Amino acid sequence: MSKRKRILVARLGMDAHWRGSIVVARALRDAGMEVIYIGNQMPEGIVKSAIQESVDIIGLSSLSGNHMILAPEVVELLKRAGADDIKVIFGGTVPPEDVPLLKEAGISEVFGPGSSLKKIIDFVNALD
Amino acid sequence: MKQKINGQKTGARLKKDFKKWHTDIYGSQKERKPHFQTLSGIAIEPLYTPLDVADIDYLKDLGFPGCEPYIRGVHPTMYRGRVWTQRQLAGFGPPEETNKRYKFLLQQGATGINGVFDYPTLRGYDSDDPEVYADVGRGGVAIDTIEDMQILFDGIAIDKVSVSLVTCQPICNISVQSMYFANAERKGLSLNMLTGTSQNDFLMETAITTAPSVLPPKASFKLSCDAIEFCTRHVPRWNPISFAGYNYREAGCTAPQEVAFVISSAIACCEELIRRGLDIDSFAPRLSFFLSAHNDVFEEIAKYRAARRVYHRIMKERFGATDPRSLMFRFHVQTAGVALTAQQPLNNIARAAYHALSAVLGGAQSVHVDAYDEALCTPTELSSLTALRTQQILQMETGVTNTVDPLGGSYFVESLTNKMDDEVERIIFDIDKMGGIVKAVDKGWIHNEIASAAYQYQVAIESGEMPIVGVNCFKIEDEVLPIDLFKVPETLRIQVEKLKRNRKNRNSAEAAKALAAIISCCERDGNLMEVIVGAVKTHVTEGEISRTLKTFYGIWHPPLF
Repeated sequence: MSKRKRILVARLGMDAHWRGSIVVARALRDAGMEVIYIGNQMPEGIVKSAIQESVDIIGLSSLSGNHMILAPEVVELLKRAGADDIKVIFGGTVPPEDVPLLKEAGISEVFGPGSSLKKIIDFVNALD
Repeated sequence: MKQKINGQKTGARLKKDFKKWHTDIYGSQKERKPHFQTLSGIAIEPLYTPLDVADIDYLKDLGFPGCEPYIRGVHPTMYRGRVWTQRQLAGFGPPEETNKRYKFLLQQGATGINGVFDYPTLRGYDSDDPEVYADVGRGGVAIDTIEDMQILFDGIAIDKVSVSLVTCQPICNISVQSMYFANAERKGLSLNMLTGTSQNDFLMETAITTAPSVLPPKASFKLSCDAIEFCTRHVPRWNPISFAGYNYREAGCTAPQEVAFVISSAIACCEELIRRGLDIDSFAPRLSFFLSAHNDVFEEIAKYRAARRVYHRIMKERFGATDPRSLMFRFHVQTAGVALTAQQPLNNIARAAYHALSAVLGGAQSVHVDAYDEALCTPTELSSLTALRTQQILQMETGVTNTVDPLGGSYFVESLTNKMDDEVERIIFDIDKMGGIVKAVDKGWIHNEIASAAYQYQVAIESGEMPIVGVNCFKIEDEVLPIDLFKVPETLRIQVEKLKRNRKNRNSAEAAKALAAIISCCERDGNLMEVIVGAVKTHVTEGEISRTLKTFYGIWHPPLF
């Protein structure tokens, strides 16, 4: 097994719902990862924290519908900062048609409503 | 004198026969699983008999509808007199678009408006704030100024229709409700004609939803109480708070926690308003509640019934309220959004119908049925209409309105109601010991309770212990969605242009003076709504007011993780 994974969990923009992000954050922590939870942030703040905390992965959460604007911005800012080795995953309410678009924009995986915690943990563990 | 719940003897004979049945007849059978329990973890027996309700004193513990302890309903006739208000939530995009949806729903037979606001508005931000460009018009309607409020209710008779403003956070409510009142005054209406409800719950700001920067619990609680005090003095037919247990439940808490948290919040408000010199019976009749209808039908029914009894007890014993309306737990129900699935979305029509059934069997005053597409997007016109029709079918075709509290006296429901009552009391007692709900929020206790319950819920789904059709059983792989999804209409550009025009056209000296008046009101700890209803008439924006308040009260980071 590789070193302990560090993951930053953030909620995008003004999104109101913390349930999903907190449940996933607890599950990842229980699975042995180091979880940094920063609550609501805009992309700049998320990327800044991710670099400061030298995380391996960013987990974004949103149910508000802002994902198509803000999630790609996170990926773009990571690139610009030369930190695109940090992988980005997304969880929340996303219309199915947006999933391929988010992946094209550089999001490694999208976990919609009903995704199992095991699936998320396995995916994060498999990321290198 | 003890009354028997029915004609059967609860004596030795019954006990003996029950024991015999339990051992010989029931005991020889196999069941599907070792334990049965409610969604919130209350153990369920295979059978309930008069033995389980033997301690009930009918007159004292149940009584009659419209009479203490109101457990059987707050009105003597309940739905035989008047059916529940069908109040479907609506709001998206700019106010111009939401105004059309309101009119559509009213034309289709909705009997009240339930207006929901977009994420920036709920958090006190203007649409042109650099933090919010991705969220304007999402999840609700964007409101920045009094002009937007005028557009939102244009052509709607707000002196006749009761309007619920889902101004969840007090920081939003203090501005948006003020805009609603100021708009009514500009139309020449007197505030004492207006009927409606605003949400205005400080837990929403500090524990249930979070934002980049929120007011500290004490400040948020103060704003909430300011609005209640204002309405008590000037808008007597308005319900100035709707304790949002629904949202606590959506965030993850259990059914008894939901009721205990709303009642503990109500206790805090009563204590504060009494401290300000108000008489309990001057404001308590207008305190209202908002609860969820989740998957477990009987637990929900027991929850609503127990809430009425516990609240009655507390208002009477703790606060000495004497106006009957002060003792009544009146509530709106929304069907549980968290129970909806993105998978096989049409299944949600069946779910929401069962949820609504429990609300009505529990004696709700008004109901919103969720639309089938809510796990995927903002409801479309078709899904909203189907939700409204679900209510109409329930009301007009099923016969559930024909008698009052139809499950009262059920051995099971009464027993579960008693268990719920005990559990709610226990949690309220714990919160009392912490020094009340504001302190419980401040130290992060509420956050942790809700997060832990949410986590356990997810683990139960994960293990398959809690079946969810279409999610962990009866799945369809590579499902093609059978529905069209809603697209939020263009909002950002429209709102930003209006804000620009607003700032250019208003008298800037007047606006600055209005903001200065808010600061001086904060300094003397006056009632902010008294000042803000006037301030919004000078075209100051919601964001300007919020920034002013945050400058004075500071910001807080909820201890979530």
